[in-house]
Amino acid sequence: MNAIDSVRDILTRNMRQSGIVIAFVAIVVLFAALNPNFLSPTNLTNIVLQYSYILILAIGMVMIIVAGQIDLSVGSVVALTGAVSAVVVVRQGLPWYVGVLAALFVGLLVGIWQGFWVAYVGIPGFIVTLAGMLLFRGLTFLVLDNKSLSPFGGTYYDIANGFLNGLLGGNGFDVFTLVIFGIAVAGYAVSQWRTRQGKIAYQQTVESMPLFVAKLVAVAVVVMWFGYQLSISRGLPIVLIILAVLIIAYTLVTQKSVFGRHVYAVGGNRHAAELSGVKVRKVNFWIFVNMGVLASVAGVVYSSRMNGAQPGAGNMFELDAIAACFIGGASTTGGVGRVGGAMIGGLIMAVMSNGMQLMGVPQSMQQVVKGLVLLLAVAFDIYNKRRASVLR
Amino acid sequence: MRGRTPLLALRQVSRYFGAVEALVDVDLEVHAHEVVALVGDNGAGKSTLAKVVAGVLSPSSGQVEVDGEPVTISSPSVANQLGVASVFQDLAVCENLDVTANVFLGQELRGRAGLLRDGEMETETRALLEHLTIRIPSVRTPLRHLSAGQRQAVVIARTLIGQPRIVVLDEPTAALSVAQTAEVLTHIQRLRELGLGVILISHNLNDVRAVSDRIEVLRHGRNNGSFPASATHEEILAAITGAA
Repeated sequence: MNAIDSVRDILTRNMRQSGIVIAFVAIVVLFAALNPNFLSPTNLTNIVLQYSYILILAIGMVMIIVAGQIDLSVGSVVALTGAVSAVVVVRQGLPWYVGVLAALFVGLLVGIWQGFWVAYVGIPGFIVTLAGMLLFRGLTFLVLDNKSLSPFGGTYYDIANGFLNGLLGGNGFDVFTLVIFGIAVAGYAVSQWRTRQGKIAYQQTVESMPLFVAKLVAVAVVVMWFGYQLSISRGLPIVLIILAVLIIAYTLVTQKSVFGRHVYAVGGNRHAAELSGVKVRKVNFWIFVNMGVLASVAGVVYSSRMNGAQPGAGNMFELDAIAACFIGGASTTGGVGRVGGAMIGGLIMAVMSNGMQLMGVPQSMQQVVKGLVLLLAVAFDIYNKRRASVLR
Repeated sequence: MRGRTPLLALRQVSRYFGAVEALVDVDLEVHAHEVVALVGDNGAGKSTLAKVVAGVLSPSSGQVEVDGEPVTISSPSVANQLGVASVFQDLAVCENLDVTANVFLGQELRGRAGLLRDGEMETETRALLEHLTIRIPSVRTPLRHLSAGQRQAVVIARTLIGQPRIVVLDEPTAALSVAQTAEVLTHIQRLRELGLGVILISHNLNDVRAVSDRIEVLRHGRNNGSFPASATHEEILAAITGAA
């Protein structure tokens, strides 16, 4: 690769891949400069707690969008599963885990219901989930009798509000939190190193050694700093552990499993996938089942966070989750998008909402800004793709 | 070839689309070590026949046999299991996936817990491309970065995955340059040497006569003559147009 090619490569391919990360960093720096409290340990912890359920929804949503579908019902499913859980735990007085299982079961049923209509009846996901949005919202009102149910209290409340703190001691900071973050950084470094070695083995171009090390160090510093901030605040949020497990599991499913490969194939060229023997209906069915279950996980986390269930819970969550996917680089035509990208997209939304709240920006203005960011992010992506194809 | 059980046989196969008769009582036999060309004018039913064999369409009536056993090819994956591999006219690739993923699509090598055996699939893909003398920058290149000819090469490499016994090629050379066409024809001959039965659908009589053992003509969805490869251009053309 000669000098001109390298420059071209950085301008096109790298720009597209890392543009979203750069944008994220820029937004964080901007809010940190505007408000000294933004990067405080308490506020960082709050961001994690406040937006975890959107990130959980975005994991399932990115798979649906990659397959060329959309799910508008997840906000209502969050409300319905939270409501069922509240009825079981608060009204019936059963243990917390029965509530969680009941919510997950309802999520599973919802997923099977929507998957059936999309995959086996052949109704577009847009219509099925638009119907689902109304249907499950209505059921939520029925289940809750139009009234809020609270409080959960106890262990159920800890799912989204609890922390692991002091397991390994520490003076003014939590050692356990730091150890977990240390393991995460080491794991990231090893996987990056192995990817790089793999590329070298196949004689593909890789970034130069100093750049590679600089990238790893930068990530390690940021992650460890974030871990330290958490550790001097309230410790490791339980919901962050749930989120991390889901992100790792679904990155594996989408990038390394046969099912994940088929999801991308269906989104890339449904016809070709079908002719190649991919069971398109099965893929469509299971992505909706999966979304239903993940929405119920988000429902549990949200109802726990709110310490109760309201008939209007989860309103507009679907739009936040969809926006997270598109800001994170998913293609509107399907076939392109990653769990990691959707997570960064979700964090951009989270950081913007939180930052603007801290600055006292009115709700109306926040909506305007978020709308514009979504539009610009997709426009930037399309612009980059076009430029890349011209340069090629 | 007489007296042996054909690898694939169509007996009195018909396919209707409403009132349209795409195929009417068509008979076709393909043996091992044989390239059978299927020619005919536009709308003669060639692609419909290919799709029936590939499991994309089911016949309205008639019987399909593999190794003399009656079978129902109800889906492309059933076709795969029966050892039938197909290449379709429209470039059927996923542009968002890389070369390896496209070659193994629908027939991925699975390791523990349904995870992809990426390393092995890459090695096999590279060996396959080398075997067919196909030049592609990297097996990790997404298909949207390849030319039409390179894409067709990937599609043809696909047919050799999973030890097929019957390969259906629907206009495999339609989008290719002269040099690439010659390469594809060599590949077809290699398929015969490997003992496969090949159904080659083409408009190009020169291509067809260069590689096939037998030429079957379809006209208005019906059999309209069977010729040895030594038949003259005019004889075949007459059967195609119905001038005879």
